[in-house]
Parts: sequence; structure tokens; C-alpha cells
Amino acid sequence: MTLSPATGPALADVQAITEQVWSSFLGDEEPLLQRFTEPSESGSVAFPAEQVWSAAVSVHGDWTGSITVELSGAVAQSLTRLMLALADEPLEDADIADAVGELVNMIGGNVKSLMPGPSALTLPVVAAGRAAHATDLAEVARLDAVWNGEPVRVSVHAPRS
Amino acid sequence: MSKILIADDSKVMRQIVVRTLRQAGHAGHDVIEAENGRVCLDKAIAEAPDLILSDWNMPEMNGIDCLAALRASGNQTPFGFVTSEGSEDMRARAAEAGALFLIAKPFTAETFEEHLRGLL
Repeated sequence: MTLSPATGPALADVQAITEQVWSSFLGDEEPLLQRFTEPSESGSVAFPAEQVWSAAVSVHGDWTGSITVELSGAVAQSLTRLMLALADEPLEDADIADAVGELVNMIGGNVKSLMPGPSALTLPVVAAGRAAHATDLAEVARLDAVWNGEPVRVSVHAPRS
Repeated sequence: MSKILIADDSKVMRQIVVRTLRQAGHAGHDVIEAENGRVCLDKAIAEAPDLILSDWNMPEMNGIDCLAALRASGNQTPFGFVTSEGSEDMRARAAEAGALFLIAKPFTAETFEEHLRGLL
């Protein structure tokens, strides 16, 4: 049996959604810039950060797939401070998880709205560390970006049908 | 001064909604919060808010089930969604269940101003 390629949103749409969410909640002062990487790059070469936070939501329905955000620890802390309007107070891991989860929830919700429905969106799952993907999923879009010199990745995976 | 109930499982998002209300010219209202639809339903009945702003996708009870339970109990508190999903299908479901509006995240203070005009 031949598997059909996985389908999903275009990279340009993922980029537009991510930039819109980013500028709405984090401002335009420091823009999110696209970073070009080779598809074959993996590990620390593809995501050069020592500490990483990741979060994912899944969509199930007429279109099924998952949307994942990976951020360096520095980006996760900065976005948490900006979203909570905090200055130098120490951050709890729970606050960082909440902010990173809300980020992927917004990006995932907007990706879901672009795809054929009806479908349902799961609650975000957040982890300290890189994201892992099931082997039956294929990457259909990946946005690599930098913010304040630190890496940010948004990827969309869907099952091979 | 009005009382506004904000329901969202994300504390970050509840704070952003409060901040956006302020930016939209609605500072000074009494704000109460709920972390899921079940708590939202309880507080909507116990605290009699003038407006409910609720996320859709929440643990325990989601926003649309909370709205359905409220309306089934005869409670007609003005209810609007603030959610990451703004598809036509969801907007139609929200309207059918009795929501006044659905604001999709990300949003701006202007969007809040437009939807809340005349409500508070």
C-alpha cells in the first residue's frame, strides 16, 4: 500500500499566524525573524539552545494534526514576563508553562480554523525539553525563527494517510 | 461599576483579558475569575456578574457547555467567547447557544471596544 503525503497548512500561513500572535502579545519592538535551516539539520545544530521549552496541541476531525512550539529558555522567560507584565520578579515554572501553553493554543487554534472542519482542539501539553513526535506523523510545515537572537520553532505534523 | 466574570484555564490569558479591558476603556470594573467552565457556571449563578467573557476550550467543563448549562437554568447573563478558535462553524455554534460574540485570539483593545460597546 502506498501512503499519501501528509497534508496541512502552508508554511506562509503558519508564519503569518505566528507573527500575528507574536506581535499582538509581545509587541513589535523586537520582531520575530525567519531563520533558514536545512531540512536535514537536527539536534543542537537545528535548535541551538541549552534550555528548551516545548508545547503542543492536537487537532482531531476532518483534518488531524499537531502543532508544536519550541522555544529557548530565554525566550520562554521573556515571553512569560511580557505576557504577565512582570519586570524582574522570579518566575515560577508554572507561569512559564502557562504562557508557552497559551502561545501554542493560540497558534494551534488559528491553524485549526484554516483547515477543513469540523474538528476539535486539545488542551496544550507543555514540557521542559525538546518536542518528540510519533513516528506515524510527518512534518508538513516548519517555521524556524529567531527572537532576540534566540531560536523559536513552530512545526505542524500530520499523519500519512 | 459592573461585575465581569472572566473564565480561562490560563492565568496568563485571564491577566491579558483584564489588561485589554483596561486598554479598551473598561478599567475599574469588579473582575472575578474562573479557571474552568464548572467554576464559571458556579460563579455565574452565585455572583451574578453583568458580563461573562469565557474561553471555549477548558478542562472540567468547556465554555460552550457552560453557556448551555447557564441558559438551561434560565440564566441570561450576557456571554461572550474569547478563544483561540474563530472558524465560521464555531461562531455559528456560539451564536446558536446564545453567545453575543466570539473574539478570536489574538485580539486587540479595539476588538474588545467594538464588541463591548453598550454592554458595560
